[in-house]
Amino acid sequence: MQTTVNNTEQVYKYEEKISPKERRVAWLSRIVLWIFVAIVIFPMFAIVSASLTEGTGFATTNLLPKSVTFDNYINVIKDTDFLVWVKNSLILCISVSVIQVAITMPAAFAFSKLRFFMRSKGLMSLLILQMFPTTMALPAILTVCINLRDFIPVNGTDNIFVIILLLCGGSAYNIWLMKGYMDGIPQELTEAAYVDGATTMQVFIKIILPLMRNMILVIFLFSFINAYSEFIFSSALLKNPEVQTVATGMRSFIKDKFSANWTQYSAAAVMASVPVVLLFMGLQKFIATGLTAGSVKG
Amino acid sequence: MKAVKQKTETGKALRYLAPAMITIIIFTILPIAYTVWMAFTNKTLFIQSDQVEMVGFANFIEVIRGPFKEVFFPVFGWTIIFAIISTLGSFFVGLFAAMLLNNPNIKERGVYKAILIIPWALPVAVAILSWQGLLNGSYGAINNLLFNIGIISDPIPWLTDATWARIALCFVNIWLGFPYMMNICLGALAAIPETYYEAADVDGASALTKFVKITLPSIAQTAYPLIISSFAFNFNNFGSAYLITSGGPARPNTQYAGFTDILASVNYKLSTVNGKYNIAAAISILIFILLAFISYYQMKLSGQFEEVD
Repeated sequence: MQTTVNNTEQVYKYEEKISPKERRVAWLSRIVLWIFVAIVIFPMFAIVSASLTEGTGFATTNLLPKSVTFDNYINVIKDTDFLVWVKNSLILCISVSVIQVAITMPAAFAFSKLRFFMRSKGLMSLLILQMFPTTMALPAILTVCINLRDFIPVNGTDNIFVIILLLCGGSAYNIWLMKGYMDGIPQELTEAAYVDGATTMQVFIKIILPLMRNMILVIFLFSFINAYSEFIFSSALLKNPEVQTVATGMRSFIKDKFSANWTQYSAAAVMASVPVVLLFMGLQKFIATGLTAGSVKG
Repeated sequence: MKAVKQKTETGKALRYLAPAMITIIIFTILPIAYTVWMAFTNKTLFIQSDQVEMVGFANFIEVIRGPFKEVFFPVFGWTIIFAIISTLGSFFVGLFAAMLLNNPNIKERGVYKAILIIPWALPVAVAILSWQGLLNGSYGAINNLLFNIGIISDPIPWLTDATWARIALCFVNIWLGFPYMMNICLGALAAIPETYYEAADVDGASALTKFVKITLPSIAQTAYPLIISSFAFNFNNFGSAYLITSGGPARPNTQYAGFTDILASVNYKLSTVNGKYNIAAAISILIFILLAFISYYQMKLSGQFEEVD
């Protein structure tokens, strides 16, 4: 299915001679790459360095801390609601990812492997839906959530489950992506199973899902990362300090309070980023293919 | 056999589709429909529900020709510039980095690639909030660095001056966005057959000719639909526009938008701060129309329409 990401690297056993010109080009490229690397690393370095600096503000003009301290990390955990934000974000992100996978896989299976009435119309509406971000419907969602108590005994605001449900509505893109992948599973596989007397459910669970293992991971990770940085609904609907997420909590922690909170903020930023970066790096191989396959069909 | 199957599978398919259909209808389609309705009413946060009435195209007229004209057109212009610079900037920086990394004579290129990919892996909201601190005019690390290496003698007012704030936003957005493009370009570069370049060498083509005649066309095929969808994304890139500057610095002639506000963040402010649901809804619809236009071309280019059949 995938022809664009062919591995064309070949391992030559013999040492290739590099001409002087090629060597010059390589060194020039290296120097430019070093500049790139410096631009990418510097901001992260500055944050890590600030997080290890004594004191609270940015009053220091040193890029390197004079003495290393982990006080900021300890203070963030002890004195702020950081752990509450992390807990809320984890509840939000894990729920959204699990529900997204649970919604997406069966729907993609139906579109890819079952023939049904209005199938192509349904696919077309998925395509149209995925280009309208739900955040554009903010006026409507705000009105409904603020007045939700008038209709059902559930709080529309300050309720993390409302955010979870709102984020689960955006599955059109994922369904489209997964459908493309399932199309790559040969029809013979499923037909052979039907001949052996398997039910549709068995085909879905025993054949399709195991083959889609990597892509399930990708959907899970994408949904997780998106929910982790979700800001619009969270900040509009979650006002209470107990229901803040990492994104909204950290913003209120730093907004207009630089001089007071910078070093602690940096410590929180490091703690909030490192696990996500590691997760991303670990699954990078799948992510790269997952992304290109969405829009490029080889 | 096919025809028989078709009949029996509709009911079965419904069971697999139901969870997605229900959530999409309740949490996507209904809110959008309600927003469309709101755009034609006088609904605001402060109005009693029994006083809500239809006002026809009054909200749209107010946005395009009335008092909100001062907000809409300048913000619309900046939104487009912001989206174009962010998208093309990310793409060309990403392509350039990918071409440098594609040199097999640099043995340690894997290390560079692993480092350059990190901004993509960072959680966006945290990364953007951190940039807000790094760019702080008086104490931020960026000004400190530029000062220490002697590029500037006075601090640059990154977030308080309209022009600098815009430059800063575009820079941060490219910083965050280029690794994705680099990754795409690396894949596309690896897929170009080596023989093309060998043939060009035999014909005595220059490096520039090879780039324009071989590299660019081969990559364009992969990158074109991605560039367009990335434009649509940046057009609505609320995070980068709002979390660094909150839309500021303020414009002197209106309270509803600052110099770095894009339409999405104006919409957010109109809804959450000012409670002007009707105007926000009208702007939403204008954005819908534009995004639909962009997406239509994107899907035509990437051939997604053919796939539906």
